[in-house]
Amino acid sequence: MAVQTWNAASLPSNDNVNPYAFSVDLDGRWFVQKGKMIAYYGQIRFESLSSGALDAFVAGAFNSPMYAGDWIVAEGRGKLLLADRGFDVNSFDLDEGNLTVRAGNLLAFEPGLELKQSIIPGFLTLIGTGRFVAASNGPVHFVEPPIRVDPQALLGWADCPSPCHHYDHSYMRGAFGAARMILGVGGASGEEHQFDFSGQGTVLMQSSEVVMNEDTLLRDLEGQISMVGTSGLQRLQSTIAQRLAAERQS
Amino acid sequence: MAQFRLNGTKMLAVDLAGETIRALNGSMVAYEGQMTFKRQGMTGGEGLRGALKRRIAGEGMTLMEITGQGTVYLASEATEVTLVHLAGDTLFAESESLLALDGNLQTGVHFVGLRGMGTGQGLATTKVEGRGTAAIVSDGPAIALEVTPQTPLCVDPHAYVGHLGRLQQDVVTDVNWRTVLGQGSGESVQFRYQGQGLVYVQPAERGGVLEI
Repeated sequence: MAVQTWNAASLPSNDNVNPYAFSVDLDGRWFVQKGKMIAYYGQIRFESLSSGALDAFVAGAFNSPMYAGDWIVAEGRGKLLLADRGFDVNSFDLDEGNLTVRAGNLLAFEPGLELKQSIIPGFLTLIGTGRFVAASNGPVHFVEPPIRVDPQALLGWADCPSPCHHYDHSYMRGAFGAARMILGVGGASGEEHQFDFSGQGTVLMQSSEVVMNEDTLLRDLEGQISMVGTSGLQRLQSTIAQRLAAERQS
Repeated sequence: MAQFRLNGTKMLAVDLAGETIRALNGSMVAYEGQMTFKRQGMTGGEGLRGALKRRIAGEGMTLMEITGQGTVYLASEATEVTLVHLAGDTLFAESESLLALDGNLQTGVHFVGLRGMGTGQGLATTKVEGRGTAAIVSDGPAIALEVTPQTPLCVDPHAYVGHLGRLQQDVVTDVNWRTVLGQGSGESVQFRYQGQGLVYVQPAERGGVLEI
């Protein structure tokens, strides 16, 4: 059995090549996350968002300085292949809609969409009309609220209100619970914390709990440190010191 | 001639009737019939000069010889297997991407210069020539992309698996002061293929020493 071969003409136009790779028919500009391009035909240039020439364009569609370093603009004409760690790749169309997706899983989007940071750390919101490409570890499942989901398995959500945190009551009960709250140690099953969705909309789930890395969460926290005063910083410092001491013991 | 066939997408089955094939050391997962497995000597069937070249290039490759009657099943870390049929042409691939080779295919080291620096690829690739079937593995199913004189192809070095045919390979860089400051486009180094042939890419990116 020979492998199917593709060429510049036969590669699909804005569709999947196989479940793990997506072919963009580029004629103009797309935003692409760094390092997700695997191959391309044609004349395509890659510019970082900070390269002055694109300033006005970027200002109109990319609204997240925190993630600007992770994104580039692909510009030109040709077929562009995108893939991410062998994950399943899917494209979604938004029509005057809004959708929030895990930052590490968003591969690319059309400039018709506007990108903003979500209130939930590590997530990005797309607003407007256009197509975007996202990766998931295992196929995507669409579920409807009300639902509680594991934070790691959450890929994103569309049209429904932002989720709230949900903790199992027994997790916080008693002396052990208090110790856990303070020190962050003790027998945790890893399933005490969920995201709780309510209202009308769609929740997107991936079928595993593999996420990129916690880098995005860390950056979000760092970004928020500027809002904390001196006393708050001191308190943070003592919390971190406690946490570190506990980590060393275990 | 040994019959190579896919058993699923991640396992290779080879039917043998007395022939010899070469396969990645330790890649046998099961066999039916009578098989003998022999580790290839230091020279790996490439002669003393070939072995020296390989040592210098750091393009390490440990293959074993399998001979027998029956079927042998080969797999490597649940990576996807792709069969490449060679009819006198040359396949270039990373040594770590080769799973099995027909016994009458020759291997050798091909120096490619500095292009592999920092991409986890080293300075050389392995070339496979002759007539027969080679099985290559990739992280996720390999995508075969055709290159014609009218449509050259650019590939991310981290996603490159191998190439076949009369292709000229060169490196395209747009490294500038922004790259040095860590504000590069992340796609500053690409392999560019021109000519007539086939390039295999995988839908995942190997980690490199340098993030460029």
